[in-house]
Amino acid sequence: MDVKASLVAPAAVRRAVRPAYAITLLGTLAWIVAIFLAPYLRSRSSGAASFLYAMFAPVCHQIPSRCFYFHGFPLAVCGRCLGIYAGFFAGLAAYPFVRGFMKISLPPVRLFVLLSLPAGIDFAGGLVGAWTSPIWVRFGTGLVWGAILPYYFLTGVSELLLWRSARKGGSSTGASLDGAGLDNPGTKNVE
Amino acid sequence: MNNRRPEYLVPALIAGAVAGVFSGIPFVNCLCCLWIIGGAMLAAHMLAKNTPGPLTAGDGAIVGALTGIVAATVDALMSVPLRPINEAFVRRFMESLARVAGQLPPGLQDLMQRRTSTGFSLAGFFLGLFLSAAIFAVLGVLGGVIGISLFGRKKTPAPPPPATQGPTDATV
Repeated sequence: MDVKASLVAPAAVRRAVRPAYAITLLGTLAWIVAIFLAPYLRSRSSGAASFLYAMFAPVCHQIPSRCFYFHGFPLAVCGRCLGIYAGFFAGLAAYPFVRGFMKISLPPVRLFVLLSLPAGIDFAGGLVGAWTSPIWVRFGTGLVWGAILPYYFLTGVSELLLWRSARKGGSSTGASLDGAGLDNPGTKNVE
Repeated sequence: MNNRRPEYLVPALIAGAVAGVFSGIPFVNCLCCLWIIGGAMLAAHMLAKNTPGPLTAGDGAIVGALTGIVAATVDALMSVPLRPINEAFVRRFMESLARVAGQLPPGLQDLMQRRTSTGFSLAGFFLGLFLSAAIFAVLGVLGGVIGISLFGRKKTPAPPPPATQGPTDATV
């Protein structure tokens, strides 16, 4: 499935995707570092560890038996979540080679479904009590699923940046709207 | 081309409330961030149903971010009355873990106790709400764009057929 960016000049697309990519890469790195920093700080009896654990609490159950350990303490997220974030980072690292910065497009639905299946099956099996997966399986299935997620995230954020630059004035940013409308320049058609 | 701005707010409010409630209920919230991503996908689905034209990834990002912010607010509000239940859940889990593992890893008991013994403070509540809203908004963007890729695909309406020759009402 491609979001057509044909109505927007490639240079404008590049100008939108590059900062989105850089911010996402830095944010993901900081996120993963914080996951490992929490147990490290806890082992040093630092009060900042509580803040970090609390920061991740809304997005992960943090059940210790489902977490990897670092410096004697559980990471700030469970094995599956760590796999998703690691996969997200791996997908981001591969992004310039797989997709490049000259176009905005979404992955095919079939690929998303395929990569979601391992995590979905593993999760569903655990939910109904069919099996209890080892933590490495949780991590691995999360990793596979997470790898495709940056291709969605970057597409959405890049398009928002394109809209913003279009509102500011296409000429100053190089965005060529070609009558596509200020609200939705260039990436109207989802195929 | 349909330049009408889609109605983001209603889908975001409904789906955000659903995601926030589920991510705030003890035990049910074990689904981690998937409630937020799922909620944003639901919002994208509702947006696609209510919008006649095709939607883009940017639409999904906006409705997803709004859903995440609503979900964070609902989750934070729910966490206040559910706090004792959550603490009891963590305590019971720690006890069962101690029974299974025999001995808890060093420092873990202290960690769990700190998680359950911190009191409520208004400043902490708003700081938590702000952080949750930021994190949930990012997760919502992800879910919203995924939702648009799954549900936002629509065929653009075919152009009207060319005017036929012959008498019409206008010529009568």
